[in-house]
Order: sequence, then structure tokens, then C-alpha cells
Amino acid sequence: MEPGSRISRVYRWDLDKTYLRTEFDTLRDLLRTAFEGAKDKRTIPGAATLLRELRGVRSPDGGVARVCFISGSPRQMRRVLTEKLHLDGVRFDEFILKPNLRNMLTGRFRAMREQVGYKLPALLSGRAGLPVETREVCFGDDAESDAFIYSLYADVLAGIVGRDLLGQILDGAGVYPEDAARTIELAAALPRADAVERIFILLDRRSAPRRFDRYGARLVPIYNYFQAALVLFQDQLLDAPAVMRVALEMADKHGYSLDMLRNSLQDVLRRGRVQPAAVQALGQAVLDSSQQLPALGELPAARDLVRAFAQRMRELGPLPSEVPPPAQGPIDYLKAMEEDLPRVRRR
Amino acid sequence: MFASSPPSGGTRAPLTIAIDAMGGDYAPEEVVRAAAALSLEPSGRNVQLLLVGDATRINALLHGLRHDAERIAVHHTPEAVAMHEPPHEALRRKPAASILVGARLCAEGQAQALVSAGNTGAAVLACRQMWKRIPGVRKTALAAVYPTEMRRGEKDDPFSLILDVGATLDVTDDDLCAFAVMGSAYAARISRNPRPRVALLSNGSEAGKGPAEVVRAHARLRRHPGIHFVGNIEGVDIPRGSADVVVCSGFVGNVVLKMLEGVSETVVRLASYAYKERLLWRVGLMMLSGGIRRLKDLTDWQQYGGAPLLGFDHLFIKAHGRSRARALQNAVKVAARGAGTGLAEEIQEGLRLMPPPQESGEGDG
Repeated sequence: MEPGSRISRVYRWDLDKTYLRTEFDTLRDLLRTAFEGAKDKRTIPGAATLLRELRGVRSPDGGVARVCFISGSPRQMRRVLTEKLHLDGVRFDEFILKPNLRNMLTGRFRAMREQVGYKLPALLSGRAGLPVETREVCFGDDAESDAFIYSLYADVLAGIVGRDLLGQILDGAGVYPEDAARTIELAAALPRADAVERIFILLDRRSAPRRFDRYGARLVPIYNYFQAALVLFQDQLLDAPAVMRVALEMADKHGYSLDMLRNSLQDVLRRGRVQPAAVQALGQAVLDSSQQLPALGELPAARDLVRAFAQRMRELGPLPSEVPPPAQGPIDYLKAMEEDLPRVRRR
Repeated sequence: MFASSPPSGGTRAPLTIAIDAMGGDYAPEEVVRAAAALSLEPSGRNVQLLLVGDATRINALLHGLRHDAERIAVHHTPEAVAMHEPPHEALRRKPAASILVGARLCAEGQAQALVSAGNTGAAVLACRQMWKRIPGVRKTALAAVYPTEMRRGEKDDPFSLILDVGATLDVTDDDLCAFAVMGSAYAARISRNPRPRVALLSNGSEAGKGPAEVVRAHARLRRHPGIHFVGNIEGVDIPRGSADVVVCSGFVGNVVLKMLEGVSETVVRLASYAYKERLLWRVGLMMLSGGIRRLKDLTDWQQYGGAPLLGFDHLFIKAHGRSRARALQNAVKVAARGAGTGLAEEIQEGLRLMPPPQESGEGDG
């Protein structure tokens, strides 16, 4: 980031299962993850390209984007994780890791697994010092409590969740009292801002999308980063060549077929997360600017690829009608907590 | 598990299986549930699923299910043929019926096979309207699998194939020979049995036994270089598994199939009666419960994966009308195993090698 530049947008990313293809469902997986080198770590298809594209975008008034990672991995993994991001050509501005060694040595065992008491204050802390008009987009996954935490963060910033309710939520989530007090203090110190415009939840575990309906239209469950790129194009945060570069990376490096990409597009249309007008605009914009796209590997030229893709979409035929996205009503966090936070972490 | 490679090994090209989402007693709920579960199976990563039907209902169901959206597409069509509707009239009145659209999508190359649990007559008719018969095939055949004593092939498959079971009631020796070729090629793929034993169903094992068309077919199949023809078998040999492929007319096959189903149901009913009737019998049945459970699993039609309609340039798998998700998953897996493996080409080659009829007829009826 250029020194002195105004920060117009912050992209907050979880790391494991959001950026990295991490398995830690068994002790064996956990040990392997802990000891593998940067070169052995696998990036989720499209994530690196999407991050590079997002960080490179400037707002119309010249503001820059900032990339912040917040991970539940222990601080001892900083070197290997940083090296992995460098290998992927991803630049970042902030990298927060969990103080798990300290948690263990001080006997705060619940804090080693609990996420709300770690991530929420870390997010609020990261917000401090940012201009009130800075907008944010958050990326997480369905393995942990990211949907709950990011939504709560957004509503705390917006003043929708007040001090009392936040206290109840933190208490119910099993957050240590000192962490809860600090979180409430951080929240109170921040100016009110409707800052979080989008939350993406990668369905790494292929959870049913309905599980996330409670969080409204701001939160979009996605099956891959092509879908995120499509939504970001609709939100005017990415241009058409950037969307195509994400798709091309997925096809060229990760074996995504045209059908898989087509199905991904149809899925976000069917769920009302992308509107047909945005897809038409994307197709036209790509055809108009295809000389800006790289020719990757054995793939056909970008223009031919877009035509083939459009043909595949046409073959599926029209959908019955335009589907509206889910409404953004008030979120019942106490109920969401009961159903979405792992029981082991709650009191 | 999905098949990941053809019988000869090597890598399979990506496949798309069209599924009639509106067909069957429990459609679309159970069909969508089956597709959702299949989309999560890592072994089927090269198989795409194309759900054909009412997109609004399909979307609502998918939204509440764990699934992999990268592997599922939906082709919206507003009409469907109900189970009780007369096929001809239904397809005439409903040109956008899901089964007809599914067959059309296969014909256009958007899918390589079609699966439906819906109205059998409408499905067969839709395939006839939309697909081409393999050169040399005069009549198509509906095949069914049934459990036998013997196991066969790489998969240790307990199932034999019987065809035709109802698509073609009146047959000639040409048709029976074609059924033998089609059944052999199909069984080789599904049971991973490179040399399936093919038999004609007759009223005696001698070459001259049976109706004239069976006798003539026998004489020709015996001389076919690509078919492992083991001669005639009788009805009693079917459950013994004396042949991997049993060939007969649609009329005979349908009677046999219904009788096998009836016997199976009667045995279960008798066991249930015996269980209630006497304490001693109940104790005996309880001691046999493990074996009975195995027998029940073996005769469970939900495991069969559906009946293929053979003779067209695409594969159609007819799942039972009462299929729930598990049976439908198996039907799609069978379709994935059979489609895109050169089945039509092998059938065409097999028919080309079929010896012509001999001049002197044999047979004592």
C-alpha cells in the first residue's frame, strides 16, 4: 500500500478453508497442517488471483484497498504462512494470528478453540484508525463461525447490535469475561458506520445454503471464488477482465471445466445472488475487452472461451423468473448462536 | 461409487447425466435429494448432473440440501408426465414434458444418458421420438437385473441381466440375436465382466427346444464369434445364475420378472406370517435373522440401479416408480458406468458380426 494513500476498502480474509485448502478434522490432519512447508500448502482455486485483483483496484477517487488476514492458526505459523502468500504473489497489509501458546500457558483452554472472543475484538481493533467511510468485504468459510462473527462485526459497527445485546452474545458464546469487556470497550470506541457491504462464506463443507439465510442478503454463501468474483462485479468492485482472470486461473491451474463454471454461474442466478442483467453486462464487457486477458496454457483465446461459455449458458435455457435475493432483516443473534456456534464453545 | 474408468482402463471423458427431476412417485423431492448426495461423492468428480424439471421447485429443494453446485445444472421445463397418464397422449399434449426435454438434451449432445423414475411408457416413447436406433437394431429392449446364487465379474456382482422385459412383445430371431449382443455389451460394462455368459430362455436346454424364433436365434448365436453363448436355459436356471445375460421376448421376460418379484414378496409375507403364528417358528426366524437380512438386501430392488433401455444411441436408465433417493442414486451411477464407454459402437460391431440365418430350420416346439 502506498504510504499516505486513503484506504477506501478493506478486504478481510480468514485463512484456513477460506484461502488455504486445510484439513484439520482429525489429529493426523492437524499435525500434517502444522508441519507442512509453504510449498506443500494448497491454495483454494481462484483465491490468489481474486486477492491480487482486489488489492489492485483503486476507487474512483483514488482510494486504495487493504488486505487483512485473520486466522485461527497459532502465531508460530506466521513464517510459513507468510512464505506461502509470497509464493502465491499475494500482498497483504495485516496478518493476525491467534495467541494459542499464550492461551495454553495461561490456562485459557476454552480460548484455544473459541473463535468469537478472538476474532471479534481483532476485527474491531483492526477497524480502529480507519476512516469512517472505509468500506469492508469479509471472506470466511462454513467450517467455523465466520458467518456469525462477520455479521455480528458488521452490525456492531452499524450500531444495530448495542452494548447490552453484545454482552449477552459474548456471554452466551462462552467468551472469557476479560475478553468480553475488552470487546465491548472496542465497540463503544468506534464511530457508527454501515461499513461491511458484503460477506462471502465459502461452502468448504458444502453446507446447505439455507443455513445462512438468517444472515440476509449481505452474506453470500459461495461454492467457489468465481461466484465471489461475479457478485463483486455486480457490486462494481471488480471489472470484467478481473472476473475472467479468476475463472481462467481456476480452469487452467485447477481443472475447472466450462460446465463447472457454467453451473457455478447458474447457481448464483438461481439463488438470486447475481441478476441476469449483471451477467449480460459481464459478457459484453469481456467481449469488448478480451485483448486485456492473458492466453493461459492450452486454453482457447479469451474471446472464444467467453463465446463457448455463453453457448453453454444458453443451452441450459432460461430460468423461470428473476429471483430476488433474501431480505436483509434484523438478525436474531441469540437464536443464530444457538444453531450456528459449535456447542463445545458455549456456556 | 461412480465408475471412474472404462472396462479397458484409462481416463473417462467428463460425462453429463440428465435426470428427469419430475418423474416418479416421490419426485421431485427424492430425485433432487439423490442428485445432491451424488454431487458430493468425490469418485464422481467427472460426472455432471443435469436436473430437468420445474426450476423453482428444484431450487427450493437444493437450497436446503448439502450439495456441490459446481456439479449440478438445472434445465427448467414447466411440464411433466404423471405416472397414470396415457403416454402417447401425454407427450402430444406436453411438448415441454421433463422426460421429453431430457431425451432431447441427450440427442443434442448436452447429456450422454438419461435417468427417470417416471411413467415408463412415456419415457420409452420419448426416447423413441428423440433418439436414433443403433444401426442394425430393429427393436429396442428393456433389461432388468435380478439377484442370483452365483457372483460374476470384477465386482463380484450377484446380479444377472434379463432382456427384454416388456419393450418388444413380439420378436423374431433377429431381435433375439440383437438383444443378446446388447445385453452382452451392457453386462460387460456394468458388472465389469469381460466375457458374460449369454443364454436364451426356453423350455429345455436342447438346441431344438422352444418356439421357432428361439431355435433360429440359437443356431445363429452359437456361431457368433464375439458372444459367449452358453445355449438355452430353463426358468429354474434363472435364479441359479447359470447365465449372466438371459435373452427372451418382452412378453416372456415381463411374465418372468413379475413372477420373480411376486415370489420374493410372497416369501417375505410367509415369513411374517410364520413369525406371528408360532413361538417356535419365531425363534427359528430370529436365529436366521442375519441370513434373512442378507437375502433381503440381495433382493432389494433399490440396490439394482434401474433397468436400461438398450438399442438407442444414448443410454436410458428406468428407475422404479417408487424409487427414493438411494435407488435413484444407484440408477444414476449405473448410467454413469454405462454411458460414454462406446456401448453403442460395440453393439453395432456385434450386430455386424452376427451370422445370417441357416437354411434348414430345427425345433420340436
